[in-house]
Formats: sequence, structure tokens, C-alpha cells
Amino acid sequence: MTFLIQQTLIYAVPLMIVALAGVFSERSGIINLALEGIMIFGAFMGVLFVNLAQTAGWFVEAKAAGNWMALQGFELLAMLVAALMGAIFSLLLSFASVNLRADQTIGGTALNLLAPALVLFFIRLIANQNTLQMAKGDAASWFMIKKTTLGFEKNADLGFLGNTLLHKVYLATYVCILIFIVLSIILYKTRFGLRLRSCGENPQAADSLGINVHKMRYAGVSISGALAGMGGFVYSLTTANCTSNGDVAGFGFLALAVMIFGNWRPLNIAGASLLFGLFKCVAAAYSSLDINGDGVKMLAKIGISSHVYRMLPYIITLLVLAFTSKGSRAPKAEGIPYDKGMR
Amino acid sequence: MKKYLALFLCLCMMVALCSTMALAEEPAEEAEEAALIADDIPDEMTSADGKYELAFVTDVGQLKDKSFNQGTFDGVKLFAAANDLSYKYYQPANGDQATDDDRYDAMKAAADNGAKVIVCAGFMQGNALAKAAAEFTDVKFVFVDGWSFEGLDNIAGIAFKEEQCGYLAGYATVKEGFTKLGFCGGGGGTNPACCRYGYGFVQGAAAAAEEMGVHVEMNYSWLYGSSFSASPELQTLANGWYEDGTEAIFACGGSMFASISAAASANDCAVIGVDVDQSFESETVITSAMKGLSDSVIWALTKAYDGTWDEIGGKDSSLGAAENAVGLPVATWSLTGWTVEEYEAMLAAIIAGDIEIDDDYANLASTDFLTLNIVE
Repeated sequence: MTFLIQQTLIYAVPLMIVALAGVFSERSGIINLALEGIMIFGAFMGVLFVNLAQTAGWFVEAKAAGNWMALQGFELLAMLVAALMGAIFSLLLSFASVNLRADQTIGGTALNLLAPALVLFFIRLIANQNTLQMAKGDAASWFMIKKTTLGFEKNADLGFLGNTLLHKVYLATYVCILIFIVLSIILYKTRFGLRLRSCGENPQAADSLGINVHKMRYAGVSISGALAGMGGFVYSLTTANCTSNGDVAGFGFLALAVMIFGNWRPLNIAGASLLFGLFKCVAAAYSSLDINGDGVKMLAKIGISSHVYRMLPYIITLLVLAFTSKGSRAPKAEGIPYDKGMR
Repeated sequence: MKKYLALFLCLCMMVALCSTMALAEEPAEEAEEAALIADDIPDEMTSADGKYELAFVTDVGQLKDKSFNQGTFDGVKLFAAANDLSYKYYQPANGDQATDDDRYDAMKAAADNGAKVIVCAGFMQGNALAKAAAEFTDVKFVFVDGWSFEGLDNIAGIAFKEEQCGYLAGYATVKEGFTKLGFCGGGGGTNPACCRYGYGFVQGAAAAAEEMGVHVEMNYSWLYGSSFSASPELQTLANGWYEDGTEAIFACGGSMFASISAAASANDCAVIGVDVDQSFESETVITSAMKGLSDSVIWALTKAYDGTWDEIGGKDSSLGAAENAVGLPVATWSLTGWTVEEYEAMLAAIIAGDIEIDDDYANLASTDFLTLNIVE
């Protein structure tokens, strides 16, 4: 059970944070198809930062001394770099769609095509291969929080909650959940959030009340870029051993789907990504899953083909989309360039 | 104003590009004077006349997979550096999806660039190789993990007895006290080399279990390995196994190692490396089932240059313990349950034929001392 919860979170958290990235952009009125591209770029920048910092000798002493606080700081710093670079990368989208009033779908697609090519180009220059890795060690030994890092004995029993939440986890997971909650509150409970949402529903009305629509849309897309960039790095840290190879396994597009079947609402999005993460985890690890802890691996015993398990996450996505899309309601003004003269 | 902005951006991009390029070239320059360590020899070199005598065509997966491709290429680089020859590597287009045509194109490009010997890694290159060798009869081909072709004397097939080092690794792992093992193989069960590794690993583990009177359980899987690459799914699978009590996994497939060692590191468990000594990659590696890739490439290249090509051209060479081509890394030995002396005694017994290891992996099955749990 502990294993199931942890692995589900590992898949669900990047999805959740990137879907929220989509929400921020679309609520401000810009369709952000570029989530995948920004994720790839953010992952690359985060990994590059880790790699360069290690090569430069930063935090190597902290690692040798077992100073895990410093290493967690290193992880947060890398997340910050990824977020910053994601935001900068997303400026390309906001510039094209706000200032130049270009078609947002095409702009986003262009970024999706640009990012993997650009990233692979740089990786080949830097590492002379297709994957950029950490310069030293692996993600788990540098960044993962375990019982032993917290000063407990290796065999200490921390109870169910302790074992689940404090052993073999990444700080990034919790930071993302925290950011998710804070930003959801900002979107719904603050003046800024209300203004942002109004620009996605009726920008002319917002403008007439003195809200700068262009600024709001820039803000929405930049927040979106920062979240997607960070999500990309968190994905590569927790599931890909902190490597970057110009690919995030379609998580950006999945996040778009999650956003739509979450109906552009944070709470629904969290639920949807947990559902998807759960089935993704079941698909990969069904053979060793012991759900109720009685030592019987039920899923492996009932003899369903592994292909069925591997299809499950996508079938569930399709099913839920089919049943919920009727009630889904996109922000009214998304995709339409704001034109002051049009009332 | 806009013009200046555009100009400025252009400048920025150029500076950025130049600086990254400089970054990439730096280590190469330093390496030229260094001694002959494969990693210090640059992967790319520029020859004065634009011709490259030694060519290397990679298998699926990356050049720097720290395993099969890299080990083979190390042999090419070392031979080239020792004999002052030009060399170049070619990666067939389309990565993991490369077709016979892509591989043929890579070989043709190598031949067009003046290659005298082309080293091709991986059994999947067979069809392309037959076509290229028939066309470029002056060029010699070394087919690593491959076989020879009827009537084509310019191909030397070199195969390894992977079951022998797999056996040693399996035996060592159980001797070390591990009784719940795992095997993650690459190529989806279609790669003969990986199949032999796996079957040897099972036989070795069973032999040690019988000797010690213990019972060994082994998860055996080809899942998520078809492209020999790391993936989140593979990491989850390995995490699940370790969580479930598996103590050591044999990571048998190039870059798959990254996913499995990450899972091992998270769970403080062990990994067994493949093809080359992978203990430098991760602290979780207890030993590696090695085959002497770079040594046998050098051996074959030497024969191509000293006029004894006929000994291997058009023939199958199967290299095993007797040729000193398979084994475990003695220099980085970390096992405590089984000593180097005992290992060398066993190696001698294998060479002498006292220990017989079956190489027909169709016979893979559970024994009285080992329960095989095939995950598919």
C-alpha cells in the first residue's frame, strides 16, 4: 500500500502541476499547447544546472558530509532554475499570441516542435550523446529522503504514515503539492486571480474596468511556463533518475487532457491526475503489488495479460473524457487574441 | 529600436553557441597527450585528408551507453590510438527504430569515407551487413555479437559465450547471500546475447543454491527493455521488485542500467552490471558480467592489419573463458562471500570443461533449488 501511494504520487504530481500550468494560461485567455515543450525545456535546464553545479564542485562537500539539508536546498535551487527558464521560454508564446496576435494553437505547436530539437542539439554539444545525466552519482543517493537521512535506524518502523510520507520520497513532491494549493487559492480567492480569470472570460469587460489585459495574459502565461518548467524537472528527477533526453513521455499532452477532464478546476485536476497516476503505477508494477498487505499478489494471480494493465491508464482517460466532456466548460475567450476595438 | 533589439538577440545567440561549443571541445584537447585510456580518447576526430580508416557502426541505444556500444567503441579507439589511425563512429538514422536500410546507409557512408575496416555492433545489423559486405568487397567487416556469412570472406563474426559470465555472476550473487534475485533483459527476449546472459545467470544461481542448500527465487522479465533504454516504467517495475523483497537485479541491457540502479539506490539494494565493469557508475553494483568487448575488437582489428585476417574472415569466432573474453571484474572486486581465488578456480574449471554450462536458452526453467517467476 505504501509503495502504491508513493509511486502514484510520483506519477501524479508532475501531471498535476503541469495541468495547473495549463489552467493559469487558459484562464487568462491563452491556449497553452506548448506545455510539453516547456516541460522538456525545463527538465533540460534543471538537469543542466545540477550537472554544471556538480562539475563546479558545489554541494560536493555537503554530499560527502551527508548534509542532507544542503542537498535539499540544491534540489530546490534546481527546481527554481527550471521554473525560471520555463517562464522565459514561455515568453515566446506570450509574445507571439499577445503582441503579434498570432494563432495560439500554431504558436504552441511550434514551441512543442522547437523544444526537443533545441534540447537535443545542446545535449549533443555538451555530452556528445543523446542523454544528459548528472555529473556524479544518481538522483536517489543525492536527493531522496530516506529514514537514514533523517537520522532513524535503517530498520526503524515509523508507522504507516511515517513510512509512506517520510521514507523514500522527494522533497520536490511536497513542494509541488504546496505550490498547487497556494496557487489554487490565489486563482480563486485573490483580486489578482479574479482579474486573471476575467481576462479569460470577457477581456473587453475587464478592460473597461481598467484591467490591463495584455499584462494579465503575460502574467498567466509566465506563471504557466514556470509551473510547466518546474514540472518537467520534477518529472525527470523523480522518474528518470535526473536525466534529460528531449522527451517527457507525452506528460505535457496528458496534462492537457487532465486539465480538460478536470474542467479547468484545480480540485478536479488533482483528482484526475491521481487517478491517472494510480493506473500508471498499477500498469508498471502490477506483478509485485500487494494491495492489502496479506502477501498475496492479487493482480498478478488473476491472470490478466500485462498488455491490458498497460492500456488501462489511457482507456480510463478516454472513458472519463467521454463521460465528463458534456459538462466541461472552457474559458470563454480563450484562443481569441484580444482586440481593443472589438466590443 | 527594433533593429537593435534583433541585432542584440542575434549576438546573444552567437555568444551562447560559441561558449557551449568551447565547453564541448575543452576535454578533447586535454586528452590528446594523455596515456591510452579509452575514455580519454576523444569520440570524434578530424583526419587531415577527410578519410576515416576505422569505422564503428553502433547498435540501437546510444554510443555512450556505458555498456555494449561504448565498450566496443573503446576497442576501436584504443587500436586507432595505438596505431595512429583515423576513426569515426556512425549511428544509423532513426535511433531505436532503425531499419536495415538505415544501417546499410551508415555502413555505406563509412565505406564512402574511406573505411578499411568497419566494426558493426549488435546482431540486428545482420541483413544490412550482408548487403554492404557484398557491395564493398575491399572493406573488412567485424561483426560483434554476430556470425559469418556464406561466401563473404570479408565478414568476421564474433560471438561470446555470455552464458559463462552470466553463470559466474549468478553464482557470485547467491554466494554473497542473496536469495531473491531479479533479471531485467533487453531486446524483449529476441536478443540471443541477452538470452544467453540470462540463462547463464539462472544456472549459476541454481548451482550456488544447490551447493549452499538454500532456495532462490528469481523474477525474470523482458518488459520495458525492447529499446535498451531507461524509462520511468522500468524504474517503477524495479522499485516494485525491490520493495517486494528482491535483493539484487541483473540489469542486462545497455542504458536500462540507469533505471535499475536508480531503483536500487532508492531501496539500498544491489545491481549486477553487464558487458563492462559498471561499478564506476553506481555504488549499488556488486559485480558485473563482463565480456571482453574492447579486447576482442582489438584482437580482430590486429588480425585485419597484420595479414592474418584469413583466420577469422568468413568464420564464426565464439569467444569464452578459454579466450579470456568473459568474466567478472577482479580489479574492483567487492564481494565478501566469494573470493577472487575461488572465482579464478571456477573460471579454470569452466575452461577445463569441468563445469558445463548450457547455452541453449530454450531450456530455461525452474529447478529444485531455484523458482523462476517469469514476468511478462
